[in-house]
Amino acid sequence: MDETTTGDEGGEFDPKEAAKLLETTTRRAQRQLEFPSPLLALIQAGALLAAYGSIWLSVRGQNPYSGPSGAALVELYAFVAVAAVAVGLEARRARAGVSRRSSRQEWTRAVPFIAAFLSVYVLMGALRHDGFSFAIVYGILPAAGPLIVVGAAAAGYAAAREDLQMLALAVALVAVGAGSAFAGPSGVWAVTGVGFCAVLVCRAIAQVWLRRA
Amino acid sequence: MTGPGTATDALDPLIHVPARLRIVATLAALPDGDALSFTRLQKMIGLTPGNLITHLRKLEDAGYLVTEKTGNGVASRTSVALSNRGRTALDAYTAALRDLLAGL
Repeated sequence: MDETTTGDEGGEFDPKEAAKLLETTTRRAQRQLEFPSPLLALIQAGALLAAYGSIWLSVRGQNPYSGPSGAALVELYAFVAVAAVAVGLEARRARAGVSRRSSRQEWTRAVPFIAAFLSVYVLMGALRHDGFSFAIVYGILPAAGPLIVVGAAAAGYAAAREDLQMLALAVALVAVGAGSAFAGPSGVWAVTGVGFCAVLVCRAIAQVWLRRA
Repeated sequence: MTGPGTATDALDPLIHVPARLRIVATLAALPDGDALSFTRLQKMIGLTPGNLITHLRKLEDAGYLVTEKTGNGVASRTSVALSNRGRTALDAYTAALRDLLAGL
């Protein structure tokens, strides 16, 4: 179709058709440029459930708690790698041809998240050094800690940008992290995994629902 | 050309064209300040390069778009972004379209 001649100056372009075209084009563009997509959230949810599940399978029933096995940690990192590859591919698809205002700004935004994440592992080292039990240092803290601190950093970032979707996701992650600590050093892995997975699935559903609204 | 007193008079004639409406709606889906390469925009909209350039030029002349060319020769790349004026014009167009359809 030659778009320069069909209703070129709009005279024959029916307003109803215009409204429909505007809606379909906007939806299609949002879907093509959207990052992260609902599909990515579902892949991440599956990978996280498998990762936390493998740790839980290796620690359940331990008395006293001695921490995850080496094989479970390898599985954890394998699933995290799968999720990271999916994120990379998805980002490449969505951001092909898109130039952002400033890549330096992007890195600046990532600093609080990286600092919050690393602080958990520094704290683990400090607590172990101070003689805290394996149950705290290799159980509750590594399972619930990242969700609480990274979720809190994300909530602050989302609140500053008035991004209500991200704020809801971040607060939900903080709640899952904090609540899962009640499940004890073994159960915390299962509760965190299921909770994290549920939050991501809800996010994917909300994204699809908002797209159709 | 739209005749005087027709229902579509309230609609911005620069946007009320299928191809240009698709261009503006697609660029509006980007976060404020981000730009899209000419090649990706062409793939997303499905226009020929010639047609796309014609419509982009009209929108740029009206101040609705900002285009930027970087690099030289085969490595050159043109990126297109919706300006604040373009975003405001699309909002006004959407509101006018809504009013028009509500009155039908």
